[in-house]
Formats: sequence, structure tokens, C-alpha cells
Amino acid sequence: MPTHDVVIVGSGLAGMRAALEVCQGASVAIVSKVHPVRSHSGAAQGGIAAALGNMPPERTAKIQARIENGAVLPDEELNEDSILLHWFDICKGGDYLVDQDAAQMTAENAPTLIYQYERWGAAFSRLPNGKIAQRPFGGHQAPRACYAADRTGHALLHCLWEQVMKRSDQVTVYSEWIVLDLIIRDNICRGLVVWDLNTGRLETVHTKAVIFATGGYGRAFSITTNAFANTGDGIAIAYRNGVPLMDMEFVQFHPTGLYRLGILLSEGARGEGAYLINGEGERFMHRYAPTLLEKGPRDIVARAEMMEIMEGRGGGPKKDYIYLDLRHLPAELVRTRLPQISDLVTKFVGIDWSKELIPIQPAAHYSMGGIPTTLQGEVILDAQETLVKGLYAAGECSCVSVHGANRLGVNSLLEATVTGWAAGRAALAHSQQAELAPLPADATASAEAEVKGILENEGTESVADLRKTLQEAMTEKCGVFRDADHLKQCLETVKDLQHRFHNVHIRDKGQVFNTALQEAIELGHMLDFAETIVEGALARQESRGAHARLEYFDLKTAAGVRDDENWLKHTLAYRDGDGVRLDYKPVRIFKFKPIARKY
Amino acid sequence: MADIRFQVHRFNPETDEKPYYQEYQFTPLEGSTVLDCLNYIKWHLDDTLAYRMSCRSAICGSCAMRVNGHAKLVCQTQVKNVVRPDGTVRIDPVGNMPVLKDLIADMHGFWTKMQAVKPYLMPTQPPPSANQEYLQLPEAFRLFEEEATCIMCGACVSDCTSLESDKQFLGPAALAKAYRFSADTRDGRRHERLEELIERGGMWDCVRCNECVQTCPKTVAPMEAILKLRQMALKERLTDSIGARHVTVFTDIVGRRGILDERELPVRSLGFNPVKLLGMAPVALQSVLKGKIRPLEPPHKVKGVEDVQRIHREMEDGS
Amino acid sequence: MKYAYFPGCVARGNCPELNSATLAIAPLLGLELVELAEAPCCGAGVINSQNPVLADTYNAKTFALAEEQGLNVMTVCSTCIGSLRKSNKRLQGQSAYLEQVNQHLRPSGREYHGNVDVTHLLYVLINDVGLDSLRSMVKRPLQGLRCAPFYGCFILRPSEVMGLDDPEHPTSLERVIEALGGKPIDYWHKTRCCGFPITLENEAASFKMAGAAIGEAKDLGAECMVTPCPLCHMNLDMQQPRIPRHTGRTYNMPVIHLPQLVGLALGLDPKQLGLHKHIMDTSAVVSRVVAH
Ligand SMILES: Cc1cc2nc3c(=O)[nH]c(=O)nc-3n(C[C@H](O)[C@H](O)[C@H](O)COP(=O)(O)OP(=O)(O)OC[C@H]3O[C@@H](n4cnc5c(N)ncnc54)[C@H](O)[C@@H]3O)c2cc1C
Ligand code: FES
Repeated sequence: MPTHDVVIVGSGLAGMRAALEVCQGASVAIVSKVHPVRSHSGAAQGGIAAALGNMPPERTAKIQARIENGAVLPDEELNEDSILLHWFDICKGGDYLVDQDAAQMTAENAPTLIYQYERWGAAFSRLPNGKIAQRPFGGHQAPRACYAADRTGHALLHCLWEQVMKRSDQVTVYSEWIVLDLIIRDNICRGLVVWDLNTGRLETVHTKAVIFATGGYGRAFSITTNAFANTGDGIAIAYRNGVPLMDMEFVQFHPTGLYRLGILLSEGARGEGAYLINGEGERFMHRYAPTLLEKGPRDIVARAEMMEIMEGRGGGPKKDYIYLDLRHLPAELVRTRLPQISDLVTKFVGIDWSKELIPIQPAAHYSMGGIPTTLQGEVILDAQETLVKGLYAAGECSCVSVHGANRLGVNSLLEATVTGWAAGRAALAHSQQAELAPLPADATASAEAEVKGILENEGTESVADLRKTLQEAMTEKCGVFRDADHLKQCLETVKDLQHRFHNVHIRDKGQVFNTALQEAIELGHMLDFAETIVEGALARQESRGAHARLEYFDLKTAAGVRDDENWLKHTLAYRDGDGVRLDYKPVRIFKFKPIARKY
Repeated sequence: MADIRFQVHRFNPETDEKPYYQEYQFTPLEGSTVLDCLNYIKWHLDDTLAYRMSCRSAICGSCAMRVNGHAKLVCQTQVKNVVRPDGTVRIDPVGNMPVLKDLIADMHGFWTKMQAVKPYLMPTQPPPSANQEYLQLPEAFRLFEEEATCIMCGACVSDCTSLESDKQFLGPAALAKAYRFSADTRDGRRHERLEELIERGGMWDCVRCNECVQTCPKTVAPMEAILKLRQMALKERLTDSIGARHVTVFTDIVGRRGILDERELPVRSLGFNPVKLLGMAPVALQSVLKGKIRPLEPPHKVKGVEDVQRIHREMEDGS
Repeated sequence: MKYAYFPGCVARGNCPELNSATLAIAPLLGLELVELAEAPCCGAGVINSQNPVLADTYNAKTFALAEEQGLNVMTVCSTCIGSLRKSNKRLQGQSAYLEQVNQHLRPSGREYHGNVDVTHLLYVLINDVGLDSLRSMVKRPLQGLRCAPFYGCFILRPSEVMGLDDPEHPTSLERVIEALGGKPIDYWHKTRCCGFPITLENEAASFKMAGAAIGEAKDLGAECMVTPCPLCHMNLDMQQPRIPRHTGRTYNMPVIHLPQLVGLALGLDPKQLGLHKHIMDTSAVVSRVVAH
């Protein structure tokens, strides 16, 4: 039985960053369902935020004039960057549902952790003076997105993997091992049950501390920028083990996902002057953001697109998409400034952007909610912050909460880094004083039952069909806009699907790389946590950040109605029998008073 | 789009003695990628088919497979571009790696070789100050920018000709990675890296077939990186190998004569190596008899060789 | 049809029969060749391993020589066309670089302006002569001779530099073979590497590569291999007797240069084409075609 002081689940930025802390003083393993470099962190394009202040102010202003990446800021604020400014931007961007100590920790540690990446060899783009290049990004009042061309996530993920390879004698990597269950008894986390995709064997992993760094859950939606692996496994497993999920109703939608596919087209396109056009051939952003037009912030643009579609002005036979129009842009500009966009469109949808309109739609992009933790990444069980001993969470699967109701671009690679680092340190310290807690006799029982239940099921339901129904319901009824009626319908669908899942059938009964079984297990996870998203959204009677309830939304001004008096609080969703029980937790606000979130 | 017949490599180690092709026929949606088609098969026709995929946007490197015999990321390959005239598309796992199941290859060897080149920064100088980055000018960054885009999908390794006949060869991905760090101004171990890379299995065993340049789905061009490693090694006077001598002798002969005289190249490249030279003797003799090699002819030269000699002289001085 | 002819080192050295065959078929094809006698070696990708600018300068000289006469360059070697086109692309791509290189040409009164294109006999047959007229010139059809085309790396890859045929599934050689009355064999190794560049440093690997290609061609019933590359020819033909040591298999596979195959079909004397100069006996091929 594999035994390690600390076991980290997930090998994105959060997981590997944690491993590099833990390996300094304890034996550590990474368990990951995809090989580390295949983790979704690698897909991040834009950058990672840190108030390094590398950009000289004159240059900043010039770049700002191009309003790159949809950032729109008053010029006078474009000055030297500071930790304080970054901290403030996070809180405001999150529509004040941010725990301000978490935002502080994130902003404060950003520079050191970025320098650490750089020392480890990260391939950052550079300024003429040799410093790490930075650029503006939506909602950040200074150009603080450190970047590596349009592949920042790739550069950082590979940098961490290189460092892990360097320490291959200190860090064990179990690749294509899928965690199915946590072993928690008496509030002490004792290990994990893992299914080795390579062999089909169930393994028990014995450890003093587990760090979940399993990433986001965009795949619960039909249109998503997320990888196939982003099925929220860790979130579902924690939830099944009695941990509440926090703020799950906050899901960020990106305005420019490719139609049907959701593949991300970067904000750069709109920054460079691309138009958004409805099914009637009309530029429509003047109705929603009269001055900024296409360059408005993500959530506003995504909502504008949805409003056009809802009012019957979408494109295509089903009138369910919007067009991105690049046709008027000079070929040279597209070639030099938006190379990957033209590449993506040709390769993935076979479209010539210079002649054709590109069908796009809002796509589920980022999960603000997740497993609630303390600043040290310790998983908490309730509003009183009761800890599960030895259980930690970091990265997109966790909710510390730094992003609140809406995260700003380029802040999530940072969050994965900061929380990974913090959880790694805490888990290391814990493992140095804790003993291995004994494993219960029935440690693997529930995972065994889960696998057997699927493998031996001779029912009639197909994984692909159930998954599609779930994803479509979530996108259509719990998407950019929500309202009580649709949310109730969505809840019914999810409940029904949970029920039908008991009748699921797969043909593949093999042991080696049974990816049909993997997909079934992942579907089971999604069906569980999806319910918390819908319940949270149904309960939250206000519009805040990414959560827009039509009942609390002025369609004329395209502005949401936020209710600080009743709803400035975190949602905690517990599994309760067959349903969800909601509780709430105060937001830690001590520095910046909530004001209206206007740009 | 018309019906397409997909001939998919199947192998289940639990039940199959040897691999076989299974055919699936359907009409893909307009604009489908090959990955969309595999997913269609898995989700609607046959869930036992196993393959890797994740990001479906050409960045995670999971989905390299051979389409009609050549490695590609199937997630960025439009199926309409690869249908053969007979309406088929053949899909195999990547080459040069053992197959675990269906389209899934065992990448352990890939990672072992990657590990062997010390694929991480080894600085020997501290950064300018504790709270600062190393400074690196944009020109310096550009030296390895393209190589740093490697997503480790294994496509280049799949199609590498040298690897096919020499398992010891480190291969294009690992060597490109080695270059990426050798070229990084922050790294302090370039010479030691190069010393290891001139050994057997290293930079001189690349046959320069350009397969990896052609197949790389990113902008790495591994073979070009290998050539740059060679330039570095020669600059650092790491010339004691047949490969290095081959290049310097070749360049020298051309510099003196304008063209290559193959009668001179092997003898000088191999150095004092009677065994190898003897091994070549029978063929050489036969070639003489057939009139291919003419030992008695004066050394070959181009017309106006002095001009070539001048150019060589000027540029040898490192301009 | 007039080209500046760049024979390359091997056609002037170890494979003289390639040169004589080319010169023999040219007039029959209506092809006028002006040999670039002063043109230096293309670098063969080898000089690149030491000094890429030097290789580009040699090639710029070649281009300048052709440009002076208002001609494009034709080669008979996959390696030459690859190296030349690669240099050309770099030179044409950046004027500053072209200028840097030109500084080394000017002392002898030359300059390259970037106006030369580089092609290969294979593509001249297809694009200039044309397959239909080639077919009409055939005096001695190849009688369905089963030929395994072997391209040689650089004539196909990278397609960014070459772009004259599909790099993965090329058809040029096949179409020429068909036009001449032969039957092309389709096999995986036709676009692979012959192993020549590493015969000295890694003989075993090199010969395994050559053996794999010859072996597959043989298994599929090829009577001969046809190549547009004399470097491939050296590994496939000249070294063929040494390959069995590494592969445990003998092949007896004749390997024909492209212009020799054309010459045979156009009715030329096999001796004139130098078919007797090969290491692997070509008489079976010759008698198969000539006997009719
Ligand atoms: C297209 C796109 C672009 C983005 N661009 C940016 C950007 O420019 N800047 C920015 O800051 N953020 C960006 N983001 C968001 C950011 O990339 C993610 O939030 C962040 O990378 C999450 O990192 P992570 O380490 O938490 O998770 P991930 O990188 O998603 O890693 C999750 C890990 O968990 C493992 N795992 C999951 N389930 C299991 C299981 N059951 N068993 C074992 N292992 C498991 C996976 O194998 C994987 O290794 C972008 C997101 C997307 C989708
Ligand atoms: S699925 Fe990630 S590269 Fe194709």
C-alpha cells in the first residue's frame, strides 16, 4: 500500500506548487488523473497577476490606449502598481463577496511567488529592460498580468513539472490514477481510495495529510472553455464526505467561447477591434455598454449576448449564438496580434475569418466556488471553521474565498499558486507533528461499491445521454441568466438524472484503461455537485458578480440588483440525505467597504 | 459531408493477442475534428474504445495519434482534411512507443529520456537582488522562445526515424528541451550539458530527416534545435566525436575545394579507426571497380575555387 | 525550358552516372541546362551544424550566379533542393540578413537580389514538361515494372520550405513512374529517411533505416527502387552489401536514379545512363524493359 506523509491530488499549478513545498521536509506523492503536464492549468493564456510594477507608466498609458483585453480604466489611475491596489481590485472585482484577508494574502505573496517561478526557469516574455513583461487586464487598474506570450499557463505548468522532475527522488507521481474517495473517520483524514486507470486496481493510499487540487467543474455545462478532465471530482468527493461546498452558484461565463465547442477565443480579439454581431447582422453592444461597446467587461458582454439570444436575435437556425466579426480587421493585424485566434478558427471549425463570421457564445469558464478552506488551505466544515484534520484544498477546487462572486482575469493562476504554496506549507507542518492515523477496515467499501455498481449495472441509460442532458440543462437554465422557474426545472432535471444514473450501463467491462467507466464515475460526480450550484442559485435572491437573477436585474440598464443587507454572505451547501441543506457564513470585510461595482 | 469509414487501431491486452483494425462508419458533422469523430464513436457507437484527450485545444498534448500514418493532435485536425480518396481515415497510436490499449501509448520511455537531459534550469549565479527576477533581454528570450512551446505530446518522437532504428537515441523532444535550457542565459551549466549531449544517443545521432519539424504541432522544430546544439558544442570546442569531426571536416573540405570530395570525408571523420575503415574497404573497392569512386583522379574542385576559399576564410573568423 | 543546373557534389563525385543520365535525357525533354560550374556545395545541412550563415552565403552565391543569367535553379538531389530552398527562404525573408550575406559576395562582384526559385528535376518533369507530354515521349514503356519510389527527406520536408508536394502522402514520383509505364508501389517507408547522414557516426542505425525501407519495398514486390536523391542512392545502393550485417537479411534490390528511369523509358542506351555503374546489379530491370 502506497504510504506517504502527504498526498496531493491533482497536478495543475496548485498541486505541483504544493508538492514543491511539501518535499522540502516530508515524503510526498502526487496522484493525478491526467499526466501532470496535461493538467488544465496549461490552457491558461492571458497571464498571472502580481503587482511587480515592471511597466514604466508612459508605456502603460500607451498600451492602455489600445484598451487591450477589454480593460477599461480611467487614465489617471494608471500609475505605479501596488499590493494595495491589487488587493482592492480583487475585492471590487469579486463584488465584495471576497474574504479580504484571503485577497490580501494573495496580493501580498504574488510578487515573491512570481519571482520564484522565474528563478525556476519559467519562460516569461520580457520587457526591453529584461524584466518580466506585464500587460493590462480587465478589472486590474494597473498592467499587472505577467505573461508568456499567449501561453502563460503552459509556461508555468511546465516550469513546475520541470522542478518536479528535478526532485523525482523526493516526489512520487502516480499518473492516471483517479481518486474515488477520501478516508475520513472521526474528523481525521487518513488516506484516499484511488483507482489506477492503467490496471483497473483499487489502491488505498495511507497518509497523514491530503491536499485536494483537483481543479474546476466547467464540464457540468454544455458550453465550456474547460478541458474534458474538469469534472469537479475533488469537489464531489469532499461533498460526499460531509464537507460543505461554498459559493457554488458563482460560475464565470466567458463571452467568447466558440459555438458548440466552447474553445476560448481570447479577449484580445475584442481589444483589437472585433465586433459582436447578432443574427440580424447588427452590432448590439450599444444597448448594453454605450461607450465601451465590445470592450466592456466579461460579465457584461456575456449577459448582453444572452439578452440578444433571449430576445430572438441570435444567429443560426436555432438562433442560439452570436457572431464575432473580424472581417474588417487588416490581415496583418490579425496575423501579428491575434495569431492563435485565426489558427484556432481554421483548425477547429474550419472557418476563414477574413470572409466568414465566427459563431460564438458565452461559455462556462471558471468556478468561483468550491471546498471551503482557511488561509492555510485547511478544509473547514462549517461557519465556525471547524477543521477536518489533515485535509487541505487549493486551486480552483477550493474556495478560500479570494474571488468572491466573480474573479478577475489572470487572478486564478495566481490563486492556484498562492493557495497551493500555502496549503503545501501547512500540510508539511502538520505531517511533521502528526502520526499516521489507522485505516478503518471498510476504507474501500464505498469506492468498491461505486465501481461495481457501474460495471455490473445492466440498465438502459447511457452515460453520454445523461451527461448531455445535464450539461444542456445547466447551460440553459442555470447559465448566464437565471430565474426561479428555470432553476426549479433545472433542479428537477438534475434530480431525475441522479435517479436515472442508478440505471446506467457501460459496455466496457475491462480493467485496463476503462475510460468508459471513468466517464461514468465523473458523471456521478457532476450530478452530485450540480445540485449545489442550482440550489445555491435558487436561494440567492439577488444579482451579484457572475450570478445574475432575472428577477433582480434591470434589463433596460442591464444592471443587476445587489442586496448587501441580506446576501453579503457565503453559501455553504451540505449534502443532506438525498438533497442539499444550505447554510451561510459571514464574509470577512475589514479593509474596503462595499461600494457599487462600476467600471 | 459524406460517410467516412474510420479504421481504428484496436488492442486490448486483456483479450487480444495482437492488434487489429476496427471499422466505424458514419457521417460527421460539418467542421468536425478527428477527436470529435472519436468521441462520436465512444459516445454513440462503442464505449470500449480507449484514447487520451483533455483540453481539446491543442495545448495539453494528450491526443497525439497517427492519422493515416503520421502523428497529429487529433483535436486540431479537421477530419475533412484527412479523408483519403477511398473515404477512409486510419487512426493508430503514436509510433516508437509500446501500446497499452487501443490508441493509448506508454510514454514512460519518453519521460525517462526527458529526465535524462536534466530538463530544468540550473543557474549558477544568484539573481541581481533577493526581491527581483533575473534580467533577460527580449533577444535572449527569443533564443529559446519557440522551443519552450513544447507540449510534450510525443508527436515528434512518434515519427522520428532515428529512434525507429536506435532505441538509445534521446529523441527530438528531449534534445529540443536540452537546447531550450542550454540557450537560456539564466542557466549556468551549458558546457556540462553539451558534454553529456555529444555522447552516443545524443545530438550527433539525429539523422536530420525533418520528420519532427514537419510533425510538431507547435513551433518547436526539434531538429533545428538539435542543429543549434551542434553549433554550440562546436563553439565550445567539443569536437571529439565522429559527428563533430564529420561536420568540421566537411566544412573544411568545402572551404578548400568548393565541393565535397567524398574520398576524403570518411577517412578524416572517423579519425584513427582501422576497424571501421576496414569495414568500409570492400564496398570502397567495389565502387572503384564500378567506376563510382575514382581514386586516381585529382581532388575535385569547383571552378573559381579561390572565391569559395575567400568566403570561407572571411566567415570562419566568426562574422 | 531553361534552367541553371546545380548537379551537387555527389553527382559530380560518387554518382557520376546521375549527372550523365540527367544530361542525356535533358535534350529529349526539351530541357536546356546551363551548368553552374562555379557553384559551391549546398552545405547539405552539414555546414549548418557548424555555421549556418556560411552555408547560406555559399547558396547565395549559387543564386547570384543563376540570377545573373535570369534563370531558376534545377537540382537532381533531394538534399540539395532542401538546403538551397531553406537558405533561399531565409535570404528572401529578411532584407537585413540578405545584406549581411551579400557583403561576402560583393568582393567578387556578385550580389543576390532574392529573385531565384529552386526546383528539382522531379518537379520539372511534372510542372514544365508535363506528364501528358512525358507520356507521349515514351519509346520504351516500363512494362508495369514495379517501382518503389523513395523520396529522400529534404524534397518533402519541411513543407513550409518545400511545399511542392504533400509531405505525408506525396504523389509526384508515383505519377512520373506511371507516366513512364511503370507501377508504383505504395509503402510506408517511401517518405522516411535512408539513414545516409549518420553512416559514419552510427552505422548500425543508418543501415537499419536503409534496410527497413528496402525490406518493405521488397516485401511488397518491388523490382527496383527509384530515388531522386543521390545521397539516398549511396545508402540504398552502394552500401547495400553492408546492410545485411545489421538486419540479417539480403535484398538484391536495384536502386535507380530518377533520370535513369526516365532515360530507359525514353529509349536511351542503359550504358549511356550508367546503369552498369551501380553496386546492386540492375540488369534484371534493364532486361525487363529492354527485352520488349
Ligand atoms: C481556457 C482557459 C484559459 C484560462 N486563462 C487564464 C489566465 O490567463 N489567467 C488565469 O489566471 N487563469 C486562467 N484560467 C483559469 C486557470 O487556468 C485555472 O483556474 C487554474 O489553472 C486552475 O489550476 P488548478 O491547479 O486548481 O487545477 P487544474 O490545473 O485544472 O488541475 C487539476 C488537476 O486535478 C487532477 N484531478 C482532477 N480530478 C482528479 C481525480 N479524481 N483524481 C486524481 N486527479 C484528479 C487533474 O488531473 C489535474 O492534474 C483559464 C482557464 C481556462 C479554461
Ligand atoms: S486534447 Fe489536448 S492537445 Fe489535443
